[in-house]
Amino acid sequence: MALSPSRRRAITLSVLAGVTAVGLYQAGGVGNGIRGLAGGVLRPFSWTVNLVAAPIGHLLAGAVNYSDLVSQNQQLRAQLGKAQLAASVNAGASQTLAALDAVLHLPFIGSTPSVVAQVVSVSPTNFAATVTLSKGADDGLLPGMPVVANGGVVGRIIATTNHGSTVRLVTDANSSLNVTFGKQATTVLVDGRGVNNGLSMSGIPVTAPLTIGQILLSSSLSGSTMPGGLPVAKVTSIAVTPGSSTYAATVSPVADLNHLSFVDVLLWEPST
Amino acid sequence: MSRLLATLVVLTGLLVAVQVDVLAHVRIFGVVVMVVWLWPFVLGLLGAGPLAMVMGAVSGLCFDAHAATTFGLNAAVGVAVAAAALRLERNGVGDIDGAAWWTAPALAAMTGLVAPLLLIVAGAFTLDFSLWRGSLLTTMVVNAVVFALMSRPLLVGTRMITGLAPARR
Repeated sequence: MALSPSRRRAITLSVLAGVTAVGLYQAGGVGNGIRGLAGGVLRPFSWTVNLVAAPIGHLLAGAVNYSDLVSQNQQLRAQLGKAQLAASVNAGASQTLAALDAVLHLPFIGSTPSVVAQVVSVSPTNFAATVTLSKGADDGLLPGMPVVANGGVVGRIIATTNHGSTVRLVTDANSSLNVTFGKQATTVLVDGRGVNNGLSMSGIPVTAPLTIGQILLSSSLSGSTMPGGLPVAKVTSIAVTPGSSTYAATVSPVADLNHLSFVDVLLWEPST
Repeated sequence: MSRLLATLVVLTGLLVAVQVDVLAHVRIFGVVVMVVWLWPFVLGLLGAGPLAMVMGAVSGLCFDAHAATTFGLNAAVGVAVAAAALRLERNGVGDIDGAAWWTAPALAAMTGLVAPLLLIVAGAFTLDFSLWRGSLLTTMVVNAVVFALMSRPLLVGTRMITGLAPARR
């Protein structure tokens, strides 16, 4: 018995819808599913564009930036030498600290397990400061986990797929972190100001003085979204209003967020 | 029609790939140039009809798949831009041959200025009020200038490849 064209079309559409629904379910949530589907559709086009654009980009970058690369290489060699020396010195100190940690039962970030991940893409939009990592839920990464690199906090994971994750950078307009500074361990909120705009903090009590260049560390208060003691930001300017009991400061991230290639994801979850 | 559709799908895919893989890294004053918004404008002005809106939605959705903003925001902007360009085309404004040479670039510049605002307004409907906190003014100005510069070559190139042309009145 031959099927009518309309019935055949309806069956085809139903099968397609079913396959799509299963695909979305398998991909872990409708939102992630649609994103994954669209990403998959775009992959051949991306591959083609990269095939053409990447060699041209490398050629131009190499021609224009060669002298910069040479000086950067020399600087990196010098830094590597210093780092190797520091690593040797720190090895002994780390053992002592671990012993103290065991005795005092103090949380120590050095003992937090971490996963190294590669930054595979940066946010293509002007309205969100994010990066995508090469590792995801299959590697034990979960939303909320802190990400560090280049000497400081980079951000937090906001979404994961099986093989990738999205990190909201500390500069994102939706990002805010508790930081602490000074002898009295004053705790203040540092807010992202959007892509390329750095960070800001306000409501700092005048009794807690800050200096330009001072490093602000993540707070270890109960309920914090980061483990304590991680370098988050550096003070770049201070704005004091005469007569006010608080003042504001502009700060910049300690980590160089413009040159992220590999990051460490700390396998740490905020306490509830 | 099906040949035009296939051509537009391939061109849209390539443009989104350029947007995500190339333009995301080539920032001007820290701003990403949003070709995915210029594309539906060009198609609308060339008289692609509802296809311009479809391509605006498709390119926006593909882009949204790579962005951390609410899924669908860029698609909404793409559709709105295409709708506006279609209306202009139906009224004979911005005709690449008939109108003054600066008309299309001027309209493209307006699109570049307004599109980021549209995104922020669309974001407000999804209760995301943080979008305006970025470099909005820089984003608007950079996109306006680049849209003005790119619009004519893109219009001419697209017309050559697709054979699209605005209806003469």
